[in-house]
Amino acid sequence: MDQNRQGARASYVALSVFIALWILAPSAVRRFNREAFVEFQAPALHLVGKSRDLATFWEKKSRSVEEMAAAGRDLARINAALEIKVNALEDLRRENVRLREITRYNVPAEYMSVVARVATRDSSSWWQRIVIRKGRNDGIRPGAPVIFGNTVVGRVTAVHLTTSEVDLVTSPGFRCTGYLEGDEQNHIVLINGVASNSLGTAKARVSVIPRDYSMPAGQAARVFTTGMGGVFPSRLMLGYLDGGTYATQVGNFKESLLIPSRDLYNLQEVSVLVPLHQNPGEALMQGDQFQ
Amino acid sequence: MGWAWLILLLATYPWLLGADLASDVLASSSVVFFVTGTCLIAPCRRLKRWQAILFAACLGFLFEARRPIPDGALALSLVGFSIFLTANRQLLRKTPNILRAAAIVNGGACLIWFVSAAYASPSSSEGMVWQFGLQVILATLVGAAGLIPIALTQNAVMDRIGVPPAAENP
Repeated sequence: MDQNRQGARASYVALSVFIALWILAPSAVRRFNREAFVEFQAPALHLVGKSRDLATFWEKKSRSVEEMAAAGRDLARINAALEIKVNALEDLRRENVRLREITRYNVPAEYMSVVARVATRDSSSWWQRIVIRKGRNDGIRPGAPVIFGNTVVGRVTAVHLTTSEVDLVTSPGFRCTGYLEGDEQNHIVLINGVASNSLGTAKARVSVIPRDYSMPAGQAARVFTTGMGGVFPSRLMLGYLDGGTYATQVGNFKESLLIPSRDLYNLQEVSVLVPLHQNPGEALMQGDQFQ
Repeated sequence: MGWAWLILLLATYPWLLGADLASDVLASSSVVFFVTGTCLIAPCRRLKRWQAILFAACLGFLFEARRPIPDGALALSLVGFSIFLTANRQLLRKTPNILRAAAIVNGGACLIWFVSAAYASPSSSEGMVWQFGLQVILATLVGAAGLIPIALTQNAVMDRIGVPPAAENP
């Protein structure tokens, strides 16, 4: 018994020494350790994601031929309509390029789109994240915006070999600037995720709303990205203002809550917009991957 | 057997993955399905102390790896729990005591990750008491309820690889 007690005491001392060494160790050691455990789990996450895809595949395969034919016909109609839209947009793009050349306007950041399947979702009061099945091997870099359609989903916070972690719009670590629908003077508002403390839908906070701003009547005001800062392209939708706006304690501005325009926890697939050229914000993110 | 802890970790991993999938389902409620502390109980009854320590550290690091928790906060706390449990194996002899230990360790570990994540978070902690209480209560209940199946799996693996059974008089 005494030997057991002595052994335990020695273990506590060793643990204290190890904690001290761990705190003093260079961050590279801790990062290497974290990466090792992430890579250990990556195959399992891929397996889970692929099993889900397989289940969906068999579920779809079990549908009747008539149903599939109807779906194919609907898709063909949508494709035809989209083709016309694509042609119109191509004309607009050419016109845009020509005007930019005339005015020598700065070319906006260009992105490469990487489509990724969602492996798992994870949320608590202090983080709201999804893990996607694409990583460094697929060209994804930290800080890249993640979207679905024209809706902002979040931003890549950590990149591993074959997986990446995405902080959702509602996550406390998320910050960006936006414009409000109906604000003709285009005042810039700030959007940041808030620590979730309810069982309801996670929301973000919209702050620095001008006092004279009034929401469009009869509909929730939409919030768009500004494109400033070079992270998110402009005019992507962040969500809707929840209900009314309320004055801050100081009273110079108003605040409101932002409801994401999509259910972020039901997404199966997202697009990561990887900037073709590294921007300064991205370089800063690389030193802060643990967040 | 020197590698028993690693084999046991691999055998325990499906339970951790299952908890992650349950967290995935609960994602819209901002609640994490946490079983890491529960997974520590059965190995601490039978493994040698150094093996239990390595097992506990790996369990903690596996949970921390994909979450914004300060490095080592949970893993080193679990190591502390494992040292205590292996030094007091007599507390883990009867089933009610084991269940109580699972609830306490899982709830305690949950408390540690919640507080350390709050420390690392850029957001303020206003109005968090309700969410914190909910998370800890869930972890405590899951700790007690999940012990039996997890311990059964772990004991089966330990029997298979020849780890001696828990001593009647430790």
